Amino acid sequence: MGGQVSKIMGKIFGTKEMRILMLGLDAAGKTTILYKLKLTNQDVTTIPTVGFNVESVTYKNVKFNVWDVGGQDKIRPLWRHYYSGTQGLIFVVDSSDTARLEEARSELHKIINDREMKDALLLVFANKQDVQGHMSPEEVTQALQLNKLKDKLWYVAPSVATEGTGIFEGLAWLSNNVKTQPAK
Amino acid sequence: MSISLPYRPADDTALSLAVTTSPSKSNGLPRLSPSPSIIHRRTPSSSGNSARRRSLGNGAAALYPKPRRCKSQYPRDSSERHVEYILVASFHIDRGPIMEHQYPAAISGDESMLAELMLPDQTHVRSQDWTIFFLHKDTSADADADDDDASSTGKKKKKKKKSRATDVESGDGDSEDAGGSTEEESSDEEEGGEGPPLMYVLNLVNTKQDNTVKRGAVVKAMAICTRHSFLHIYKPLLLLALEDYFKNPYPETLASLYNAVNSMDLSLLPKLSLLERLILQASNSKDMFIEKFEQMIHQRQAEEGGPFDDECPPSPRRPAPPRHTLPRDTHEFESKIVYNDIPIPVKVPTVIWPEIVGDFSLIKLVQVFAGPHAASPQPFPVHPHLTTSGPFTHPIIVLINAMLTQKRVIFLGHNRPSGEVAEAVLAACALASGGILRGFTRHAFPYTDLTKIDDLLRVPGFIAGVTNPTFANHPEWWDVLCDLPTGRMKISSHIEPAPVTEGFLYFQQQAAMHHHPPANANADPSGDNIFMEEVQRSITNRYGENAIRAKCRAYITKFARVAAAFEETVYGASNLYVIGPNEELSPESPSGLQADPLDPTTLRGHGYVWPDEGAKQRELMASVSRIEGWRTTRSYYSFIQDIAAMYYPSRPIQKPDLAHHHDRLRALRLPAADAGAIYIAFAHAVKDYAGICQLLTVTPENQAGLFYLSMGLFHPHQPVREATVELLERIAAHPAGRHFWAQLNRFAKLAFFRIKRERDAQSPASGMATESFGPQSLVGVAMGDVFRRS
Repeated sequence: MGGQVSKIMGKIFGTKEMRILMLGLDAAGKTTILYKLKLTNQDVTTIPTVGFNVESVTYKNVKFNVWDVGGQDKIRPLWRHYYSGTQGLIFVVDSSDTARLEEARSELHKIINDREMKDALLLVFANKQDVQGHMSPEEVTQALQLNKLKDKLWYVAPSVATEGTGIFEGLAWLSNNVKTQPAK
Repeated sequence: MSISLPYRPADDTALSLAVTTSPSKSNGLPRLSPSPSIIHRRTPSSSGNSARRRSLGNGAAALYPKPRRCKSQYPRDSSERHVEYILVASFHIDRGPIMEHQYPAAISGDESMLAELMLPDQTHVRSQDWTIFFLHKDTSADADADDDDASSTGKKKKKKKKSRATDVESGDGDSEDAGGSTEEESSDEEEGGEGPPLMYVLNLVNTKQDNTVKRGAVVKAMAICTRHSFLHIYKPLLLLALEDYFKNPYPETLASLYNAVNSMDLSLLPKLSLLERLILQASNSKDMFIEKFEQMIHQRQAEEGGPFDDECPPSPRRPAPPRHTLPRDTHEFESKIVYNDIPIPVKVPTVIWPEIVGDFSLIKLVQVFAGPHAASPQPFPVHPHLTTSGPFTHPIIVLINAMLTQKRVIFLGHNRPSGEVAEAVLAACALASGGILRGFTRHAFPYTDLTKIDDLLRVPGFIAGVTNPTFANHPEWWDVLCDLPTGRMKISSHIEPAPVTEGFLYFQQQAAMHHHPPANANADPSGDNIFMEEVQRSITNRYGENAIRAKCRAYITKFARVAAAFEETVYGASNLYVIGPNEELSPESPSGLQADPLDPTTLRGHGYVWPDEGAKQRELMASVSRIEGWRTTRSYYSFIQDIAAMYYPSRPIQKPDLAHHHDRLRALRLPAADAGAIYIAFAHAVKDYAGICQLLTVTPENQAGLFYLSMGLFHPHQPVREATVELLERIAAHPAGRHFWAQLNRFAKLAFFRIKRERDAQSPASGMATESFGPQSLVGVAMGDVFRRS
């Protein structure tokens, strides 16, 4: 239904396309978020991503081409090959995995410091807000040292990917802010 | 019609002869299984065959003495194993791809690279996937299996060497710097020409959902590493063994597979010479060279029979042990692999060509890209090497051109199994190689992924298969991108422009001087459009994969011959042709002159034959760019080496140029004297077993077979007719030639027997009664046939 409406809207106002890259440590919930976006009302069970997944999702008049790339540390060096042409980065964090938050911070800063990513919007999903002992979005912001970032549009959205909570809010932020971006 | 009357008696005698002579059908071979199907299939045409056998009986025996001992392609006592390694890798949820086991030893130091190759992208979305990849590994590691480290560093060094060569080339901007390119070639040849063969890896990966494990799935892959290019025969075994490995994840599972595949017996597969292989490949006869298979079995029985001598003819009734049976089709050899007490039948191709690996389908490749092109052609950006027929050049031609001129080609199959892209890569290699040119598979990456991108980009002119659509976003990584799901090809915006070369300038001048009319839009000077139409018609008419491969092979053969003519025209000499004795290198020298009046075989002329000079100029001009592009590539240099080392020495007849003069018979309307000189020269030159083999390679069944030779039977001069009879007699008595003879039309055979009778009648030694029924009318009929055809 929503898809139908936005298709009509797209005909009236024209559809924007946005290339989104979704990264994060292994088992953060990237693939679950991707398929919650794609298959709104279904339960999603995922297994580790070997390589990548890519799906198109149309939401609020914007067609998102979302790339979800596997997060095992050995394959992280490959992330850079997906940077060129990316307008938005979704970085997914397991808020309950406090032990690896420092590792997540270091990976995130490596990505956004890359020349090809300097214009990309940054959306952080503080995922797994349903798990005992999780950190709040503010604590995640602190741990990732987002306040240090200059000249960067960023936003932290709390989410529970398995239930679909918070995901479309995050996407809404992307689609609202992509308008301020120069058309690519 | 009246023709039935004259030839009926002849036919009858032939038939009765066939009956009387068939028991003595001796080519020095035991007849183990009479294979009645073969005999029956041949009956319509076998009459002449048998009659000829009788009359030739002794002569043939003298001509083809008892064949030498037949060697096996895969002797039993060979130290080479069918399969050298078995590997198992899995996707570790914390660490990514890891190698679990290697048997019988570790294959190389770079385990993680192998594990990544074994677990293709997106393997988590499908339960099963196949991949193929190649390893460049020294055989020396087998000799001293202990220094695995040495071999792996050797491999690294090789990579380094290759990358250095790349740097040279990229630094020069692909310039015509002869020094740079020859240097690159020489380093390449060390591994290419006589270097170790590639190690082919066939890999099966399974993803099993399992709620009892962390994150709900287990991904495991098992691979077989072999130096055989027919690695697809191992597919059923991998399926069984990987299933076993999920149950018993121990090295013992690998060991039992290793032992099973290595006990496969291929020792009865005879070894064929290059010319024999060419003939078998081009033939549809299911019993071509069956004698060799018979001989292999006979030799084996002689060995197993203990004291009894190989030379002593065994009784033809001696029953063959059931495990030694003749193949139903000599193009493949049937064997079996016993794994866990399950016998699995396998078929191994008899003829192995370079660059033909696995069980790809050229038909599929052509259809994928021809379909969208036919439905709604999209213009390519023009590049002289690639779009040889303008912006709407057929995509398959663009692909062939890209491979011939050593471009970087990527096959992308997003959401497709990686096995599918691997097959496309293997098919593309076979397409551009035709089994003749080399240097494609050695730089092919049937399946690769982003992890290897840096290594990949160091290889000049690669062919790679990927499933990751991010490759489409990087036009700087490739020159031609072939998208399998959409069937569209793209030429990169970053492709290097073609350099202006001497040949190009030469033809520009020629065009300016002779005012050649510019080719109009419908013209097809390169013949590519006709070629593609023929290929597609053959596919539509269900001619089968072999027919399509033969067409592609002929296309590449022609390309090489046209390139040789081009080099002679532009540069005055060609690397692609070894000039025969008495032959002149001047393109103006008229074909058909006899250099030595006393030796009919010194007939001048060589190379490709065009109907007229205008056609030659047009075709050369249309192909100038891609030929010049090809002349700096690996495949060009290795072809020159192959000509010198393999193709030329395999030819027992150096003069005259059989292919050239046969083409003249086929393509030109020759005056009787010129045609006669060709028949006489052939009859003088083609005498022994190998010589006839060579002649048969220029008269394949799919290109009219012996038809043009048989036209010599209708030549106005009697000596020419008799020479042709002698030649055909020899061919008909030849183990391979008899199949060609059997397919010759009846008119030709009729004329053959008539001329033979006339000759025998004239010679006093002949005891044959002269039959005087209407030779005139026969000539009339036969000549009518000739005129109708020509």
